[in-house]
Amino acid sequence: MVHFVQLLNTIVTSKAEAHACGEDSMYDIVISHVTDQPFLYHVTPHGISEIFGNLIFKLNTLLGFHVPDATPVTECLHGHAAEVILATPVKLLGIFDLRITKWVIMLWVTMLFCALVFIPLARKIKNSPMGSKSRWVNLWESLIGFVHDEIVEPNFEHDYAKKAMPYFCTVFFFILFANYLGLIPGLATATGNLAVTAGMAIFTLFGMFAIGTIKQGPLWIFSGIVPHGIPFLMYFLLWPIEVMGLIIKPFALTVRLFANMTAGHIVIIIFLYLVMMFQSYLVGVGSVSLSLIIYLLELLVAFIQAYIFTSLSAMFIGSSMHAH
Amino acid sequence: MLEILEKGLLRVEPGLLLWTIITFVVLLVILWKAAWKPVVEALDARAEKVRSDIENADRSRQEAEKLLAQHKSMMDNSKNEAAKIISDSRVDAERVKNEIIEKATADARDLSDRTKKEIELAKDRALADIKAEVVNLSTEIAAKIINKNLNPDDQKALVEETLNKVRTVQ
Repeated sequence: MVHFVQLLNTIVTSKAEAHACGEDSMYDIVISHVTDQPFLYHVTPHGISEIFGNLIFKLNTLLGFHVPDATPVTECLHGHAAEVILATPVKLLGIFDLRITKWVIMLWVTMLFCALVFIPLARKIKNSPMGSKSRWVNLWESLIGFVHDEIVEPNFEHDYAKKAMPYFCTVFFFILFANYLGLIPGLATATGNLAVTAGMAIFTLFGMFAIGTIKQGPLWIFSGIVPHGIPFLMYFLLWPIEVMGLIIKPFALTVRLFANMTAGHIVIIIFLYLVMMFQSYLVGVGSVSLSLIIYLLELLVAFIQAYIFTSLSAMFIGSSMHAH
Repeated sequence: MLEILEKGLLRVEPGLLLWTIITFVVLLVILWKAAWKPVVEALDARAEKVRSDIENADRSRQEAEKLLAQHKSMMDNSKNEAAKIISDSRVDAERVKNEIIEKATADARDLSDRTKKEIELAKDRALADIKAEVVNLSTEIAAKIINKNLNPDDQKALVEETLNKVRTVQ
């Protein structure tokens, strides 16, 4: 078992070689799996992932997102010394490091999957006015119905529900697909990163402000968020709290989705790491079966978190349509 | 605090955030145009169709019920009518029967009366004939007596003879 994992590791990542660097600690392994790192250029690539990484590195250079260093350096990667070329990012406006990373690719893969599923699906649904007999179509139709009945309908009046459906469907399926793609070994969970979940939550925040401004007028931030009928002085106490609440709501969305998607992955990795640590069949069987159970739990969490994020977004945006 | 956001698990990379926003907006636009609009329209149209179908079915059912009720009342009416006709005709038949019987009885009585009368008449006529014959015979007898000068015995014998004659005639 242990040898098999090591062999697999050798094939996928790098050639077994006499390493001067020490073994990766558990922390290093966990962090390298759940955080986003810019691709490095391997001078002598081994395995599919390094060749792929080199391609993306070159693409980044081509697009002008970073400037590669002139000379390669030797770095310790996963317990092996490797000759790599580092690069200095070219930051857009001095802030945004737009290098294409694994997470960016996962976002695109998610987008691609969404488009591949829903664009042909729309045609099929349109062409069968009596309802399709295909199980594939009915599966997605029932999920769209779920978004409509459980997420959008309770928070918006009928006409607005119809207008809000496309946005919340996109949010729900984007997060759902990202969550499930992240469960495929070898890929990364796009939603298991604070930047990505923050990006999604910024849409919710923006939606709250935009809908509030459109439905209640530009001064809604002063009149709409504080409950009516409170004493005049209480207003000055409550208003800052309500404004803070407005910011905290999307922040909570950000952290909730990130933490839920990351935690399960970390637990799975740690369970699997126990195999390398103890190098025993007994521990191997136990930890692999436990990580499988966590994986099944993750399948459930992936759906629940997509639902929670979308339904809370709908609740926040829906509640800013009317004054409190 | 900021160090946490720059390294490790909690790092928030502005570039990735921007990529998220770009990717999501692109996906939103693509799916809005190419998927959600037709899907929502199709699903709404289907819901509308189902609703109108149900309404139609309900209306048809009500109509059918109305027709059924109408039909039932018509059936009841015709049944009643038929019963009335039957009872009427029974009464009629009874009446006709009685009439016929009465007429027949009367006819029979008439016939017997007439027969009796005819018999009476024939008897009267016969009696009249006999009377005339008796008169003739008496006259003849008288003539004979007168001619012969009868003694009392002869006369008695003659009268008896004549009476016998009359009795046999009667």
